[in-house]
Amino acid sequence: MRWGMVVDLSKCVRCYACIAACRIEHFLPMGINWPRLVAMETGGDSPTVSTYSVRCNQCKDAPCVEVCPTGATTRREDGIVTVDQDKCVGCRYCIVACPYQNRTFLSKDKDQGFFPGRVVTDFEKAGKKLYKHQIGTTEKCNFCAERIDAGLAKGLKPGVDREATPACVNTCPARALTFGDLDDPDSEVSRLIREKKGFQLHPEYNTDPSVFFIDGKIGQSDEPKVDDKPEKEPEAIGVGE
Amino acid sequence: MEAHQWMINYTRQTEWIDRRGIFLWIAFYAGGLGGGLYLVSLYFNSLWGMLVSWLIIAVIKGGTHLVYLGKPLRFWRIITRPQTSWLARGFIFVMLFVIFGAIQMMLTHWLPGSAAEIAFKTLAGIMAFAVALYTGIILKNIKGVPFWNSTLLPILFIFCGLLGGFGLSVIIALNGGDINLAAAETGSRWLLLANVLLIGIYLWQASVKEGTSKQSVLEQLRGHSAPIFWIGIVLLGIIIPLGIALAGMILNDMSSIVLVTGVVCEIIGGLALRYVVLKAGAYKPLVAKPQ
Repeated sequence: MRWGMVVDLSKCVRCYACIAACRIEHFLPMGINWPRLVAMETGGDSPTVSTYSVRCNQCKDAPCVEVCPTGATTRREDGIVTVDQDKCVGCRYCIVACPYQNRTFLSKDKDQGFFPGRVVTDFEKAGKKLYKHQIGTTEKCNFCAERIDAGLAKGLKPGVDREATPACVNTCPARALTFGDLDDPDSEVSRLIREKKGFQLHPEYNTDPSVFFIDGKIGQSDEPKVDDKPEKEPEAIGVGE
Repeated sequence: MEAHQWMINYTRQTEWIDRRGIFLWIAFYAGGLGGGLYLVSLYFNSLWGMLVSWLIIAVIKGGTHLVYLGKPLRFWRIITRPQTSWLARGFIFVMLFVIFGAIQMMLTHWLPGSAAEIAFKTLAGIMAFAVALYTGIILKNIKGVPFWNSTLLPILFIFCGLLGGFGLSVIIALNGGDINLAAAETGSRWLLLANVLLIGIYLWQASVKEGTSKQSVLEQLRGHSAPIFWIGIVLLGIIIPLGIALAGMILNDMSSIVLVTGVVCEIIGGLALRYVVLKAGAYKPLVAKPQ
């Protein structure tokens, strides 16, 4: 069994519902997002905006698992890469090693509350009890492992039964996200990947991500040329989140 | 689309250099410098040099690394995964160096020439080499940053550490320490030339390897890191020490202040080298623009 996700790029409508759902599901501090939407404009005079919904790829050969010096980051038997925040020392080696930049270090300034210095909302109070985020450690998407585990314990099928399916997948109004077992050739994700030629981000790193993308319009292409506008290079790199 | 530019363009790594990342930068350099000085001190059999290198690794490197951690009180957990993590291995190297080095210095002081002293010198020497080397391997193994992903990087870090070690040995010699000044100066000159050569080859191979590493090189030569590269590495780290070395060879005599200035410039150059290497490390765009 290996849980995976398929993102249909042609269906995403940039509503950010996946991000909101994740924030609510995991009581995420204001400064961080586990899934992210990457948008880009192409087309010159009549530009069109394309969107990628990205999150931790739960790689089969995850560099973050390999480099973690404490064993805080591990890969479960079902392929989900998790972080044990009680073991994490905050060395950030995993963040640097992740070629997809899908990990975040939770620093104090990223967890100042929704209304810093004014009021702590009931939602935040509930979050402190139900889903502790430890400042000084690393975080990332876990495919809602707790939902999957609880669902499986009830005999539900992740990707089919909503209660056992990641929150972002449930919430997506355009049905751009599909979840299921990559090892099951009859699962919806396997069928979509097979029929629509699903691709992974940066396969050259040999990490074998569990998140696949399908779309008729956008594929992977060459990276931008470095010599196009050398005077603008500093602007092109290092732009923060 | 400005806000999302970071994912569709080359993205500089920030965790290991910006904000608290400066502690890691200092820790990385201190590891190389301390390891290099210990190896140089072994060559000169200088107890003073060994003591200084031990302090650099135990106090400066160890201290800054601890300060950098998000959860410093859990530092002991770092040793639990040496089978795959070079950070865990590096932590073990540092701890073993601190232990072996302390025992060796006591033996050198009280039982010089004993078999035990030689054994612990060998052990501490191996660990010092490992401490100077492992930070380069950590960076080399990160596939997502092509600029770092080069076998030359650990070699460059080792040579940079040895250069700093020879530089500090010059200062120890000038202060009446147990080191031959002329030999330390000669070693420093050769190491400086080797470093210049290695930096040149490293940048050249990064610029021809592929687009992202070329972008990193351009960032150093023409981008935001350019002042640190040209002033820190080229002027202070290479030209001034090289000028002092040449003047020393021609004049056959050099004042202590000039020699110390040269060493300080070398150390600033070493720090600047680590800084720009960390600062210019960039990832490929997560999502490439369609053709």
